[in-house]
Amino acid sequence: MSDELKPDALLDRIDYTPAAGSWMDSTVQIMPGMYCYAAKAESVETLGLPNARTWNPLEDDWKLPENWQEIIHNAIKERLEKFRTFKVFMDICVRCGACADKCHFFLGTGDPKNMPVLRAELLRSVYRNDFTKAAQILKMIPGGEKLSGGRPMTLDVLKEWWYYFFQCTECRRCSVFCPYGIDTAEITIMAREIFNLLGLNIDWIATPVSNCYKTGNHLGIQPHAFKDMLEFFAEDIEEITGVNVEPQFNKKGADILFITPSGDVFADPGTYTCQGYLILFKYLKDKYGLDVTWSTYASEGGNFGFFTSHETMKRLNSKMYAEARRLGVKWILGGECGHMWRVIHQYMDTMNGPADFLEEPVNPITGTKFENAKSTKMVHITEFTADLIKHGKLELDKSRNANRIMTFHDSCNTSRGMGLLEEPRYVIQNVCDNFFEMPPNTIREQTFCCGSGSGLNAGENIELRMAGGLPRANAVKYVHEKFGVNTLGTICAIDRAALSTLMEYWVPEVQVYGIHELVGNALILPGEKERETDLRLEPLPGMEDEDE
Amino acid sequence: MMPNQLIDLNRQLELNKEKILTLWFEAAISSYPEDTARLLGKSKNRFDNPVGNITRQSLEDTFDNIIRMSLAENYKDYTNSKHSQTNKEHVGQNRVENSLDPVIRIRAVQNFSASQAVAFVFELKAIVKSVLGKLPDESFNYRVDLVALAAFNRFMKCRENIFLLKATEAKRRVHSAFERAGLVTELTEDELLGSSKS
Ligand code: SF4
Ligand code: SF4
Repeated sequence: MSDELKPDALLDRIDYTPAAGSWMDSTVQIMPGMYCYAAKAESVETLGLPNARTWNPLEDDWKLPENWQEIIHNAIKERLEKFRTFKVFMDICVRCGACADKCHFFLGTGDPKNMPVLRAELLRSVYRNDFTKAAQILKMIPGGEKLSGGRPMTLDVLKEWWYYFFQCTECRRCSVFCPYGIDTAEITIMAREIFNLLGLNIDWIATPVSNCYKTGNHLGIQPHAFKDMLEFFAEDIEEITGVNVEPQFNKKGADILFITPSGDVFADPGTYTCQGYLILFKYLKDKYGLDVTWSTYASEGGNFGFFTSHETMKRLNSKMYAEARRLGVKWILGGECGHMWRVIHQYMDTMNGPADFLEEPVNPITGTKFENAKSTKMVHITEFTADLIKHGKLELDKSRNANRIMTFHDSCNTSRGMGLLEEPRYVIQNVCDNFFEMPPNTIREQTFCCGSGSGLNAGENIELRMAGGLPRANAVKYVHEKFGVNTLGTICAIDRAALSTLMEYWVPEVQVYGIHELVGNALILPGEKERETDLRLEPLPGMEDEDE
Repeated sequence: MMPNQLIDLNRQLELNKEKILTLWFEAAISSYPEDTARLLGKSKNRFDNPVGNITRQSLEDTFDNIIRMSLAENYKDYTNSKHSQTNKEHVGQNRVENSLDPVIRIRAVQNFSASQAVAFVFELKAIVKSVLGKLPDESFNYRVDLVALAAFNRFMKCRENIFLLKATEAKRRVHSAFERAGLVTELTEDELLGSSKS
């Protein structure tokens, strides 16, 4: 075995041409730990999506509609006409392989079908077979099908699609390295739309979407529990600071509507970030009279509809704007989230925009116009806070974060999806003295995904998540060992949950923090008492011995 | 083996370290599909190619520990727990296990069976034999066996780690926030062990 692989053989280029090798003939083996459970019939039904039923990916019979092949063919046809990018991405790949080793799932799992070029080829091979002239002609001669790199749509092919398009987090890292800018994420998005036409969604996406549709957030938390939770945070904050931050709910005529992913309200450690928002809003109210309201109806900034279909994404997105209209606010401020921003930044305007009934966002305290949010009317809180700091509007005590030795994980969606690179770093450096970057090939536009994005943050696929998150964790481990980094900052709710587990497996010494948790620790509220603990109720630096 | 024979063998291992390590690394990564193995062997940048580089480093550290192993180490240190708790060589076993951790930790999440995950350790016997020629006795193979046992230990620990994360993630993230807020009191077994769907 070992003598087959000589070092020079290792350096050989892999042949990515479609007809090469036998990858097209293999049947897929769905492995435990690598796939997510099937969507519950009930959730699919709520959304009015087709083919709601109980099914199991491990069983032979997926209980597909009888004409499933026809559905797929028509779906591809329709999307080729509707989305120019999809058609272009199907045609122009030259199989140069530049993207091959850029996907965290390939790097972590070692499965060649997780190379972006092969992932795309799974669908492209069927496209070629069904929609290109060359393939139609070649099909007529024996063995010609292979030459064209095409293959017919069979059940095995569908299962392979399903397995591998749910091993892509739509992170777009591969597109950064492709000379043609081919974005495999877009191909995954199309594939997942097609799955939804056949009732093949996963439950970790379908049930949150259904919850969000019914109750306004992914967890299906009722408005009163949402309010209870924020009030409980206010009690904790009062205990720490002596100040009652008094969150406001559904207030008509407030200046700003604040919307954040529900993970910040209901899941640790996002809950501490949420407390940071509350402290900030109280500060701005007392100092500058800024009126911010929460909504118990638009209680979800995230949008798992994005991982389902364009239509579902649109439905969930529209509720935030409906609520902003109902309350009559000037504009919307959004919390620390990843894919929520990709939806706002790249899709909202064409889907539900322009939101003309809102005002073009201006920071009333600094006068700054948020030009990039001119049409969507929704501003990222990191940009908002960075602007306040830049204008000297916040009084901050960095020493309260002195025990945090920070690095920063760029979320795929905020970095590659909207170019929000400097603002979070600027905020971090103004609330904390110790900041160390991870290596350049793992941050900013080249950031490695957490491995759990795009609805893959389930429990049953944890091996996939840990493997996919390895490239990220590996870079964190490096700064931990080199600079003693103990805190991984992030501005995404999925990251806060996913990276926490990822760190426990790969670098247990590192904890995950949202940026506004650090802001909440550092910000000096008017009239506050001397704080002894941080928001996690752990002693502040220098206070460790006081209660002994 | 006489002490000077041991010193001699260790010196041989040191002298041929690069060659042995290259072959051992190739053997380890040939457990991946061919296309993957080629890419893993290619980039020397530890961030662009984490699996390749971590594997290489972990094998090197383990190899160094094999050279440091003394003859006094024996199977009993592994099979008799009472014995091993007090035995000074226990430190040596921990050292080997720690140096294996990075490579095993990766393989524990890559869909390898336990035997596939640790099989690369045994390949070292044939590799060393092919590089050094005939060995004076069985002592080197015996050291490799000890490493293999350490690899099994570590693999099991990593898998336990994974199971625990899987079982408790939802509880720790979502339910603990609710519990602190006093919004839930008790959880059913199902909620605790189910997937994080809630
Ligand atoms: S979008 Fe991300 S996860 Fe999907 S193939 Fe590209 S690099 Fe991999
Ligand atoms: S880098 Fe672009 S052109 Fe090259 S193989 Fe990947 S997708 Fe195709």
